[in-house]
Parts: sequence; structure tokens; C-alpha cells
Amino acid sequence: MIDVEHLSKSFGDNLVLDDLTEHIAEGEKVVIIGPSGSGKSTFLRCLNLLEIPTSGTITFDGTVITDPRVDIDGVRRKMGMVFQHFNLFPNMTIRKNITLAPVRTKLMSQQEADDAATALLRRVGLEDKADAYPAQLSGGQKQRIAIVRAMAMRPKVMLFDEPTSALDPEMVGEVLEVMKELAEEGMTMVVVTHEMGFAREVGTRVLFMDGGHILEQNEPHEFFAHPREQRTIDFLSKVL
Amino acid sequence: MDLAQTVALWRELMMSGDATWWQEFFVRFYQAFIEADRWQSYLEGVGITLLTTALALAIGVVLGVLVAMVRTAHDQQRIGRRKNPLLGIVNFIFKIYVTVIRGTPMMVQVLIMGLVIFKSSRNFTMVGALTLGINSGAYVSEIIRGGLMAVDGGQMEAGRSLGLNYLDTMRFIVVPQAIKAILPSLGNEFIILLKDTSLISIIGGQELVYFARNILNRTFDAMFPLIGAAVIYLILVIIFTWLLGKLERRLRQSDRR
Repeated sequence: MIDVEHLSKSFGDNLVLDDLTEHIAEGEKVVIIGPSGSGKSTFLRCLNLLEIPTSGTITFDGTVITDPRVDIDGVRRKMGMVFQHFNLFPNMTIRKNITLAPVRTKLMSQQEADDAATALLRRVGLEDKADAYPAQLSGGQKQRIAIVRAMAMRPKVMLFDEPTSALDPEMVGEVLEVMKELAEEGMTMVVVTHEMGFAREVGTRVLFMDGGHILEQNEPHEFFAHPREQRTIDFLSKVL
Repeated sequence: MDLAQTVALWRELMMSGDATWWQEFFVRFYQAFIEADRWQSYLEGVGITLLTTALALAIGVVLGVLVAMVRTAHDQQRIGRRKNPLLGIVNFIFKIYVTVIRGTPMMVQVLIMGLVIFKSSRNFTMVGALTLGINSGAYVSEIIRGGLMAVDGGQMEAGRSLGLNYLDTMRFIVVPQAIKAILPSLGNEFIILLKDTSLISIIGGQELVYFARNILNRTFDAMFPLIGAAVIYLILVIIFTWLLGKLERRLRQSDRR
């Protein structure tokens, strides 16, 4: 579904991603872990071109999205993204947060979008918050809304950029629960996270990144039970 | 004895130095505001002042938004990606505009517009409004640019990641948040604008100060017409501030918890 070939990204002289090649198949739940500064967030953000790669190509659903002529807005509509800091729109109600993009991009009428929003909110148990503003919600609620907002565009893949890192510990569970449900429904997911439990339980594949490279990858149980690289062993010994 | 006769009598007392202070006060008040229906002049002046302010405001906001949008779009271009050459040229022109307008006194701008560029025009009010609008646009653009830059970058990313294009993201997400943030400074700018309309009297714009000075020249009394004008400006600004406060409270709706 997503083919990344020879992807490099540098900020000025700082080479953050160094010649990455990776394939993500439909239905996979790829979990990316690694120390901070390893390039995992940049890699994820390159997938929907929030960061423009310095070189290399990314193919999504048969389209070479790194081609400058491609309609990037059209591509992004099929890729949902959830951010560490939620990035809900504070000037709109929750309902409006969810329905703005589907309506403006003509994916749905306002009525359809409202119905979809109600259904999605019910799924995450927040239907009573439809007319609230983001400032009135807790962090966990905000992140669940952010997931719902991305889902409203009916994306083919969901990208998660450390979705639980800005949450109070007691709120992490409710967000992971929503993500787990999403995974069970067969959504293709790419998740940058520090939640090793989630990686083990939900992931179909774990990538370990360091220094702009994918150092090691494996099926989760094998990955956590028998890490091969010394760098991976060091990292896991610190976080587990 | 009617009012005019009373005043005539008191005026004679004033001449001979026998009037009490309140008789003198009343006579001066009378000749500044009531005699020959002069209050109508002030009213006409206020009308022109408000009209000029409204026109200048419209020009200033349109120019300011345009300049701010172009300059922000220019500055937000990704490093490493080919830049839009047209955007570069327009940005450069707007930068010169802001520099020139902010770098020269308003009085000089009014004089140049009235006596050089539009020297054959007799419509001083319109020339004045245009000058003030162009002047205000430069300041408003910097205020708006500041507001746009103050909105968290994650908002633009979130909008774009949902598939909204740049303009939609600006229009529905970034700009509304920026407006809320800049409303106090924008209100400040508008108050300055309202008061600066007084400058167009030097090229013959018939606003409040113009009429106040006319009356001054006729009655040889400076205090009452000028203080009268000052009080009128003050009242206008107070009303304006009150309206702005209401608007701010409405925009803060989404902040309630």
C-alpha cells in the first residue's frame, strides 16, 4: 500500500532520514519505536508529505506522491493523521471539528457529515460532547476526538504520531482502546509510540529506528523476546 | 426676552468687563455651538469623520489582509522546494509599501496625496480617506501577520492533513483564531485611525476639526470649538471601545470551560 524507496530527509546540514526503503502492506499495523531524534516522527510525517523528502520516492495506492505534480490534498484525504498535541481546532465545536473537512472537500453533505460524526462519537462514547468546544475536554477526550476527526474522512491508512505522549497516564488507556478497536476493524496503521505494551499487543510488525535508519524490524513477540542488534537491546532495557 | 437678546446683552457686559464668569461662559458656549445653528456644522463634521473612518477602515483592512496573506504565504514556503516567483515579486513590492508607509509621517503622506498626487481633485474627503486607508493598511498588515504567525503551526498541519487546501485551512482554521488574538491591537489601530482623520483638514477635508476651526475663525474664541471637538472624538472612541469589547466577548465563546 505504501512503498518507500531510498527516502532521505535533511534539515539544513542535519541528515534525519538516511536512505530508507520500506514497504507497508494493506492491513498491517506497523509500530515504529526508537530513541528521540532517531527520525521516527520525521519518517511518519514524510508519508503524508507534512515533511517534503529531500530525495527518494513514496508510492501510496499506486500514486507516486513525491511527484510535485500530484494533488497532495487528494492524497492526504486518504491518509488520516493523529498528532501528539491533538491539534483540535479550538474555534469550533467538536461536531464542526469532525465535519469541516468531509464537507469542504465535498466528500459528504453537511447532513451526511453530521450523521457520520454522531455515529463516530457514539463509538468512542463522546456523543454528548458534540456541541462542546475542545477547551472543555480532557486530553484523553481530545485525542479520541482527533482520531474520530481523521476517521470521518474515511482514510485508507491512519498515521499516529506519538498519540499518547502528551496525555496524563490515566488517560492513555482510553486512547489506546480506541486505536485497538480501529486495528481490529482492519485499518492499516502506522504508529510512532513509546507504548511498548501497545506495540506488542496490537502491532503486526515493529520497526526500531535510530540515527535515521531502520536498524531492526520483526514481528512483535520475536522483536521483544529476541532483539538482535546491540542498540535495540540497550534501548529496550531502558524502556521496558 | 428671548435667548438671542439675553446673549446680546451679556455680550455687551463682557465687552465692558462686567459679566459674571458664568455669563461669559454661556455667551462663549452659545456662539460656539448654538448661534447661527453652528451645531449643525459639528454634526456634519462628525458625519464626514465617520464616513472617512469607515472608508479608510475598509481600504486598510482589505489592503492589510492582502499584504499579510501574501507575506505569510511567502514566508511559509518550504525550504528546499522551488519558490513561487510571482509570490516573491509581490512580496517584495508589499515589503516596500510597508516600509515606505511606516517610515514617513502621516501628515506628510496626507500633504503629498492632497497637494501632489491628487492636486487637481476637489474631493478632499475621498483623497483623505484613501490616504488614511493606505496608511492604515501597512500597520494592519503587520498586526495580522503577527496574529497569523502566533497561531500554533499544528493547526495548519492538522487542517492540511485532513485534505483541506491551504486557503480553506487559512479561512476556517487559522484566520478565525488569528482574528481573536489580534482584536485588541486592531481595535487600537482603528481608534488611531478615527482620530487621525483630523489630519485631512490640512488639505481641506471637511471633517470635524475643519468645522471647529471655521467657527474658531469666525468667533475668535479657540477654547470652546476645540474642546467641543475633543469631547466629540472622546465620545466616539468610547462608543467604539464599548462595541469592540462586546465583539471580543462574543469571540471568546469557545474559551469557556
